Amino acid sequence: MLFHDWLKDDSKIILFDGAMGTEIFKRGIEPGKIPDLLNIEKPDIISEIHKSYYDVGSDMCQTCTFGSSSLNLKKYKLEDRIKEINEKALENIKKVCLPTCLIVGDIGPSGEFRPPVGNTTSEQWQSSFANQVKILENGVDLWHIETISDIEEMQAAIRAVKKNSEKPIIASMTYNKTPRGYFTIMGDSLEKCIQILEQKKVDVIGANCTIGSNDMIGLIEESIKLTNKPLSAKPNAGQPKIDKNGKPFYEYPTKDYARDIHDMINLGAKIVGGCCGTSPQTIMEIRKIIDSL
Amino acid sequence: MSQEKFYEEISDAIVNLNEDKATELANKAIDKNFNILNVIEVGFGAGIRRVGELWDAGEFFLPELMRGAKIMQDCLDLLIPHLQGGIERKTLGKVVIATIEGDIHSIGKTIVATMLRAYGFEVYDLGADVPAEKIIDEAIEKNVDIIGVSALLTTTMLGQKKVIEILKKKGISNKFKVILGGAPVTSKWVEECGADGYAGNAVEAVELAKSLLRI
Repeated sequence: MLFHDWLKDDSKIILFDGAMGTEIFKRGIEPGKIPDLLNIEKPDIISEIHKSYYDVGSDMCQTCTFGSSSLNLKKYKLEDRIKEINEKALENIKKVCLPTCLIVGDIGPSGEFRPPVGNTTSEQWQSSFANQVKILENGVDLWHIETISDIEEMQAAIRAVKKNSEKPIIASMTYNKTPRGYFTIMGDSLEKCIQILEQKKVDVIGANCTIGSNDMIGLIEESIKLTNKPLSAKPNAGQPKIDKNGKPFYEYPTKDYARDIHDMINLGAKIVGGCCGTSPQTIMEIRKIIDSL
Repeated sequence: MSQEKFYEEISDAIVNLNEDKATELANKAIDKNFNILNVIEVGFGAGIRRVGELWDAGEFFLPELMRGAKIMQDCLDLLIPHLQGGIERKTLGKVVIATIEGDIHSIGKTIVATMLRAYGFEVYDLGADVPAEKIIDEAIEKNVDIIGVSALLTTTMLGQKKVIEILKKKGISNKFKVILGGAPVTSKWVEECGADGYAGNAVEAVELAKSLLRI
């Protein structure tokens, strides 16, 4: 399988895609309550965004299904449309995926917490993710479970994938940088997360969102000391700001972002890409760096 | 045991997230007819402030913060009916809080509501995806001092501005203090909206609420 070949090839740095939401806003589209619904309402826009990433050199892009698990859809009263949304998402990315590239099934957080923060159980998480996985399994080459802040929720998602699929898993937690190191908001340390993710035998250990690329360098540096697993990094392009017209923008320069990614590759990151605030332009800059290595 | 020692024990029970101990001490204060106001402010108040400081310092995380606030709240529910001289003194102020329409992210808003309650504010949490008009209607009906509006998405942040615009249109913007929160919210955005304040986290939100009401 292509992804495993890439992982085995020491000279290969795998280029992921950049932000989906940021690109949707740029096209002047109000995403309504959940961007995932645009898979049905504006499929051409979603395909166009995927295509823009494949075209500038992404080796793999992820489906627009960040919020398309049962629990999350339920909050928007869309749980009965889970099949339709995930199937359309597959259709939208398949249309534009290049022959040498891969499709990644994107699984985001449920938005629900376990006690004492919320009331959700591991079983509820697992069943919610499983509903999504069963649909996406028909078209994806591998999985990206991302932006998870509770290692318990991550484990539930991993179980949901492994029960329904044999495809590789990239497991990305989202961390804050604290004076004591990198922790999720639920208090899971980088060390603890990596240890558990190793035990759960995911294929790639990752981090995405929350922190910008400059802070992600330190996280990769720490991670490399803790594991021999391949590492994935999808940081933000700084923090969002609002301009005078009420439009969001990210002020961290693309050049600086690409330089930070270069540092992460030098440290040993195997998969690189972007999260909030990144664009095809960002990915193109990173492509140039990878090609020059 | 001296009063100071007793208050310290309460504060420690909160910081150690020891629910049984905190409840036991609250009941003891009631049984012994201690000054309940002091028990709340010097004992429990100090405890939750220490929890807040530990959260600020990155020592405590969301589960500890929520658990500490919950224990505090449960003990306050026990103690408040026993306040000497009636329960009038119990509230620092009234707050209506909501995540704005189009945005279903409720966790940050819930944390702020929980902390405000734990510190002694009377909080009306309207939940998530709440229209600006409804937030204002509730604020008027409940006669609150502060309106808190949360937004996690850069697209829904505009709804925060709408709340202030409606208040101005109705000519009642001087009746309420409006505070904004959410990951993409900055002090610059607050200034642009004409809101009264911004807090980066729940502990800061409590301080902000107190300073706006000159407490």
